[in-house]
Amino acid sequence: MNQAVISCLHANLPALEAVLNDIEYLGIQNITCLGDLVGYGPQPNEVVELIREKGIQTCQGCWDEDIIDGLDACDCSYPSQLAEKRGHFAHQWTTDKLTNENKEFLASLPTSIRKDKCLFVHGSPNSQHEYLLPDMDAFAALERVEMSGAETLFCGHTHQPYIRELTNGSISFRIQNASSKGIQEQQGMDLPMRRIVNAGSVGEPRHGGIKATYVVYNDNTCEVEIREVSYDIERTCKSIIESGLPPIFAWRLINGFEFAEQAEDASHVCER
Amino acid sequence: MGQAWLISGSPGCGKTHWILNTFKNHKGSCAYIRLNGHSDIDLEQVKFSKIDSAFLKDHLPHLIDVSNSNKSSISIRENTLLLIELPQFKLPSQNGVSGIDPRVLHELEILKLQPNRYLHFGRDIELPTKDTLDFKKIESSNLNLQGCVWDPPSLNTFWFELVNGAYGDVYRAKALMNLPDGRCMFFNWIVSQQGSQYLPLNGVAPLTGRPERHSEIVIQGKNLDFALIQSTINHCLLDDSVLAYHQASLKSSELQPIG
Repeated sequence: MNQAVISCLHANLPALEAVLNDIEYLGIQNITCLGDLVGYGPQPNEVVELIREKGIQTCQGCWDEDIIDGLDACDCSYPSQLAEKRGHFAHQWTTDKLTNENKEFLASLPTSIRKDKCLFVHGSPNSQHEYLLPDMDAFAALERVEMSGAETLFCGHTHQPYIRELTNGSISFRIQNASSKGIQEQQGMDLPMRRIVNAGSVGEPRHGGIKATYVVYNDNTCEVEIREVSYDIERTCKSIIESGLPPIFAWRLINGFEFAEQAEDASHVCER
Repeated sequence: MGQAWLISGSPGCGKTHWILNTFKNHKGSCAYIRLNGHSDIDLEQVKFSKIDSAFLKDHLPHLIDVSNSNKSSISIRENTLLLIELPQFKLPSQNGVSGIDPRVLHELEILKLQPNRYLHFGRDIELPTKDTLDFKKIESSNLNLQGCVWDPPSLNTFWFELVNGAYGDVYRAKALMNLPDGRCMFFNWIVSQQGSQYLPLNGVAPLTGRPERHSEIVIQGKNLDFALIQSTINHCLLDDSVLAYHQASLKSSELQPIG
């Protein structure tokens, strides 16, 4: 049976509506959302309410967490001082706009959802803020999936959709201690194929184009399809400007750039 | 008796770089002055920009900056080449020095300068024509950024947005901008080119306080939102405490033994 996985909606209502229409057109009933319902975009309440109305299973994204708990990331999670100023403005704007009821909904979201052999998270099983980039070290990527106990890990956060198959994985190690008197004991294990599927972004694509992206997963055949959906981006941009958000967000979105730049060291996780 | 040449052309045509190369090939002393130029209908000139002279002075430390001389004592010695840079949108009406705009002639008289050669980009074949554009309408503004230091990734983002049209249609932008490590970068962009030119100046400021050298940005184009440009720049500049933090980190890393 086909199921749809959507992520990173970022308060972009026209994009979400277009993606939900596409999912309906495909006849898919089962939808999972990987979070970041809000942040940067102009219609946070409308997006949260549409997700609630549709009863879409959702896990909490980093923006959803920060809106509830306050900014907990350190300054170095922003790639530049300019991005930080813009991010903080968007955070405050979203906090002011979002109703208490919708905030409570975001606060109630789980950090992960497990369905059979699939795990759904926003960033990684470790944190909503950790990026699993398509070119990250294979061993680290395999570790993230294996330790979560899943065969397929669905994530978002990077806004770049991808499917990564981790095959021929093995772990080997040698143990040498004082009691073994110099004799090394070697152990190892082969790992079955694991997959990471990144659903991209509905509301703030970062794949070089302006179309919303999401994935369709068939749990019988395990096939994954990355789908791109056109939406009324000018409606979103108009709404950004009318709502009092920085006009630069509209310019960046309509030109295929993300609202704020991606960190150079995107694998960085704030520990402060 | 030395030579005095008047070099004019539209924004971004390459006047300053041609002047730099000409000075480098000249065996004697080199002297320079930049005139403001005159705005025409719909064609606005940048006023009082010092970027070009600061850029040339960095490359040619012995360059005589005539604009700093006492006006009554400007004299061109033998073997000295004086190049007078003049931003000018329109083609001169006549060839040679007889084509000098009367308004410029008046300025030159006040400065007691009499060019014996006049070259204009787009008219004289000695000069390159690649980036000589015919502007119909242009707004100009320059911001003095003396003492300002940029957050480098923010500068990268701002410049990208600027030259890609986030703040209006930019045709020409150039700047001298300070970085926290003491370097000053010359940024240069013209709409006819694919990318920007980024050149570090030779002079490096000490890692203490704010740099005192000239820093400025010049932006020319159409429908420019100068208020938004200014507010974005403000978000990119380091405050005293962050600058001090960067400088302290750089100083301590300089003290680390190698190896």
